[in-house]
Amino acid sequence: MKDSIKEIWVFGDYRNYFQNRVTLQLLSRATELAKMLQAKVCAVVFGDQVDEWVNEYIAHGADRVLVIDHPDLKNYKIETYVNLMIRLIGKQRPEIILVGATNFGREFAPRIAKRLKTGLSADCVDLDINDEGLLVQTAPSFGGNILAQIITPECKPQMATVRPGTFQEIPHNYERTGEIVRIPMPADLPKERVHLIFSERSPQRSQRIEEAKVVICGGRGMGSKKKFKKLTELGELMNAEIGATRPVVYANWIEADALIGQAGKHIKPKVLFAFGISGAIQHTAAINNAEFIIAVNKNPNAPMMAMADIAIVADANQVCTAMIKELKVRIRG
Amino acid sequence: MMKMLKLVTCIKQVPMVSELPWDPRTGTLKRNLADGMINPACRYALEAALILKNTYGAEITAITMGSDIAEEVLREAFAMGADRGILVSDPKMAGADTLATSLVLSRAVQTACADFDLILCGCHTSDSETAQVGPQMIEELDIPGVTYVDRLELDGRLLRLQRLSDNFIETLEMELPGLVTITTQRQAPRYVPLAGLQDAFTDKDISRLSLEDLDLDPELTGAKGSPTKIINVFSPTAEKDNIIMKGSARKIVQQLFDQFDDKIGGAIGKDIKDYQESQ
Amino acid sequence: MKHKLVRKTVRDFSEAELGPIAHEIDRDARFPWQVIEKMRVLNYFGLQIPRKYGGAEVDSISYAITIEELSKVCASIGLCVTVHNSVGAQPIKSFGTEKQKECFLPPMASGERIGAFCLTEANAGSDASGVETNAVEVEDGYIINGTKIFVTNGGICGYALIFATMTTGAGKPFTNVFIVEKEMAGFSVGEIEDLCGMRANPVSSLFLEDCKVPFDNCLGQPGSGIKIALTALDSGRIGIAAQALGIAQGAFEAAIKYSKERQQFKKPISSFQTIQNYLADMATEIDAGRLLLYRACALKDENKPFGTEAAMAKLYCSSVANRTTNLAMQIHGGYGYSKEYDVERYFRDAKVTEIYEGTSEVQRLVISRAVLSQHT
Repeated sequence: MKDSIKEIWVFGDYRNYFQNRVTLQLLSRATELAKMLQAKVCAVVFGDQVDEWVNEYIAHGADRVLVIDHPDLKNYKIETYVNLMIRLIGKQRPEIILVGATNFGREFAPRIAKRLKTGLSADCVDLDINDEGLLVQTAPSFGGNILAQIITPECKPQMATVRPGTFQEIPHNYERTGEIVRIPMPADLPKERVHLIFSERSPQRSQRIEEAKVVICGGRGMGSKKKFKKLTELGELMNAEIGATRPVVYANWIEADALIGQAGKHIKPKVLFAFGISGAIQHTAAINNAEFIIAVNKNPNAPMMAMADIAIVADANQVCTAMIKELKVRIRG
Repeated sequence: MMKMLKLVTCIKQVPMVSELPWDPRTGTLKRNLADGMINPACRYALEAALILKNTYGAEITAITMGSDIAEEVLREAFAMGADRGILVSDPKMAGADTLATSLVLSRAVQTACADFDLILCGCHTSDSETAQVGPQMIEELDIPGVTYVDRLELDGRLLRLQRLSDNFIETLEMELPGLVTITTQRQAPRYVPLAGLQDAFTDKDISRLSLEDLDLDPELTGAKGSPTKIINVFSPTAEKDNIIMKGSARKIVQQLFDQFDDKIGGAIGKDIKDYQESQ
Repeated sequence: MKHKLVRKTVRDFSEAELGPIAHEIDRDARFPWQVIEKMRVLNYFGLQIPRKYGGAEVDSISYAITIEELSKVCASIGLCVTVHNSVGAQPIKSFGTEKQKECFLPPMASGERIGAFCLTEANAGSDASGVETNAVEVEDGYIINGTKIFVTNGGICGYALIFATMTTGAGKPFTNVFIVEKEMAGFSVGEIEDLCGMRANPVSSLFLEDCKVPFDNCLGQPGSGIKIALTALDSGRIGIAAQALGIAQGAFEAAIKYSKERQQFKKPISSFQTIQNYLADMATEIDAGRLLLYRACALKDENKPFGTEAAMAKLYCSSVANRTTNLAMQIHGGYGYSKEYDVERYFRDAKVTEIYEGTSEVQRLVISRAVLSQHT
């Protein structure tokens, strides 16, 4: 029988490792939480030939790794993964389960929580332990306009999905050792009912704007469709996705799926450039999660300018042109 | 004869952010005062259902859970082309988290449309943003389901789906009955026709379901049936002490890149230091 | 709940489709056919036409809300829709034979044919009996000659309701209404007028030169022209009042937004009492106008006389529109006088609501007659 040391589990979501290191970030925070709880950190990995990840997770802070390594697990399979996880949880009873808020994580974690009839908070931007030893999960709502602190007082495990980029990973240490528990693939799993027919890595350009690190948003203040198109050039120089406000989308300066706002997409970039945007609440409600905002507007009193970290009082189009010119010089140099 | 395709869309009434009477300093929100609207992603789910209806013929049942005022979103769904409207309403359901909500909605589907073929939900709501109710209904109903769906097409009883999941474009298949959650990526929802809106109030009835109708234990619903508790709500937005830059565009841009080369260069993954200057 | 949803529905549409182009189509005096195509399938051209002819058959309050919300964003299109629905389609609905309704209403309800109401002439307008356009009965119809001026929707109309004077034998002249179809020989459209406001609506003259119209296109009994005109204008007033209200509301909201953003003496100007007083007056008057209007609509839906109430609503709402747009421009200061801001357009659009479909002076005449006859 396992001793009564509590465990914090982190789901090993490695599929999109090079763009998204959320598992490592979670391991980092989990080690801190584990100290407060006198608990251990355990990573859970499913897949085919996953030793690479097992070692990586130990190097980044996992004390123990549970591995199910089998050719059938080559691709993420939602029902199979849920069933495996449920079986592991049933045997080991972790105190906390953390899952990266990737697309898969946000499909996977709710199903686990439902089976276990426990609580789950979504897309958390902070995690802590309170005086009672409970996990305090800070989750955004209304596009980040409001943050709620949530606890799951009576059910175990306590579960949260966590927004990528929320925590800093700890530098890897390949000297670190951890226990690796290899679990055989059960033979009696129910048959998967959702079949993956085809999967391809999407071309870099079509990264979701919701996940982009840098977003350039343009508003009516750009002046015209032609001038607005310059933002695309700037975007290429900065590896940025282009978003737009409603008037711009409706004027057909850009496709409708670029709409950032209440009725469109919500974004959370590290740096957001807002060109010629006055800042109607329908728009700003969707950008509250941006870390650093640079706004360009002729009107210094526009609400967007008050939200910005840097407010540039100038013609948006001219600044855009100047940035393109300057970046071309600097990036070459 | 093949039976008519039965579709269910779960739609939620959410407050319009433009109308939110909230205080950014305290973060308090008087939700009942705000004007409501159909959650944007739910509108896309309804549109996806309407396209299936137009293509294959179908009966669409729209289900919402909320207070009496949520009738509004059902009327709007009627106007757009939904055939039946179910309002699940009970004071005992107040304060439900996703676990309790997914239970109630699943039970409502089983009660109102037991022989459903496909349930379409929005992938997330604009208010609580958990994106959890859809996947949890999949579990509750024990049916195949796929989240974040961009496109779907039907081939007999086989549903073929496409989605963008963590930078992978995936094509998936599953047999009906099932559940999908729809993104706001593809087919923009139709405008509401004015004639439809008139009919929505004259020709269509809304069925109301209470906990009793659903044969649900009140202990499993509302705040009581919700494992998560909110202990504090606050607003992160505060007036920023911002830096204001003025002058010629060229000067501003140079100043911006010089002072914030770490911040901007770090984010874009390129070095934007002005080497000519420093050399 | 229904009316709230109607408002939201039309608002969503207007803000999405008309908002981005309102400034530009006004500037270029361009009629936006692309948006009109979208409006056609959403029933904007069959608002009060019965279902059996393909209309939406909405109640009058829904109608007023629709016109109000369209006009709040783009008064030119609000005008197009209200003229088509009220004075364009309503006379056919009220005075047409079953055959005429079956023939003319469905293409109007679908927006395939936009209606125009042609009373005003060089020497006629407020005086409906002064019409100089004349119709002569011939073997297989009528021959019409004359010129109509300032016809709203003139440049785009599919059907024009032409008021013309007829004489038979030695009898007194009387007025008839003819449905003239745009393809008919002898019918032509004049140049689009270069007007102060609502410039996206192609207001023009219409020419009838030996225009031959079949018997089936004569509306109502011989001599019922004046009655048709007055009945149509009663309904028309509801539309124009709604339009004026929409313009006022648009200007008011722009003023609120601007007064919160614009800083003077390191404070938003909305914190100054003078501005607050302006805003309070605007809000009160708009609300009062709205109540007058909805009362007229409710009476109409109850099939009660509503002409006087509609005249009051039209008189009051149009004057509120002018006062509100004036104050909104004042609050905007120099920016308001610039075409960069919408209030400049609202200011220009408001004026004509006091002029067309019965000037304010004529409304007062209608109201005073009613008041005097009630208190004898």
